[in-house]
Amino acid sequence: MRAQTLDAFQVIADPGRRQMLMMLSKNSMTINAIAENFDMSRPAVSKHIKIMYNAGFISITDIGRERHCVLKQDGFNELQDFINYFDKFWTSKLSKLQSILNDKSKQ
Amino acid sequence: MQQDIKQTWFFQQSPGEVWEYLTKPELIEQWLMKTDFQPIAGHKFRFTFNAKPGTTYEGVVHCEVLEIKPFTKLSYSWKGGTQDKSRSFDSTVVWTLVPKNNGTELQLQHNGFTLLEDVLAHTSGWTSLGKKLEGLLIAVQK
Repeated sequence: MRAQTLDAFQVIADPGRRQMLMMLSKNSMTINAIAENFDMSRPAVSKHIKIMYNAGFISITDIGRERHCVLKQDGFNELQDFINYFDKFWTSKLSKLQSILNDKSKQ
Repeated sequence: MQQDIKQTWFFQQSPGEVWEYLTKPELIEQWLMKTDFQPIAGHKFRFTFNAKPGTTYEGVVHCEVLEIKPFTKLSYSWKGGTQDKSRSFDSTVVWTLVPKNNGTELQLQHNGFTLLEDVLAHTSGWTSLGKKLEGLLIAVQK
């Protein structure tokens, strides 16, 4: 099944996918085992898995007839990159504001 | 993993003065970006900057005023993305002003990123997973 490629924030915007990621954070699981926890069709679960796989949140290994999903750091790193970027962004902007206000109070 | 951005800055000026720098476009522009901000809840506005070719982010941030309490609190949505459209973000910026020691404590929270909260139960998952692995590797080396 073809699944769209979504960015990291779109991936975690879906409550079902967040729940899957949380389940996987405790243990690796087969797609079937994941599907048992959700009130949705197996193809629907597979589609979510594919989306998370495409965005680098999980890796999938075939063991026998089972497909095992394991959490992967890449997707989470992408989220972290955003946060780090804006953290630095605000530090530089606010220090600029501080110097403007400091100059102003000296006048 | 850090889940959202929190910064606290102190300014000698009164909340009223600091507020002006958060809400008057000509003053915002001096330290942040060009904007058509208006201090009205529901007002849609943009921040723009000259994105140099080859840099990551688009030169525009799309915003909407979510909450405004004069001299106390201001929040707006903060949406944008990378120039190559490969990544986008939908986040919220919240400014809180607290009078303190004859000046103002300005708190910034940027957490759009709030969706992460649920997932971040997972953070501890990663850390413990990493530690477990590390422990195993050390055991193997011994």
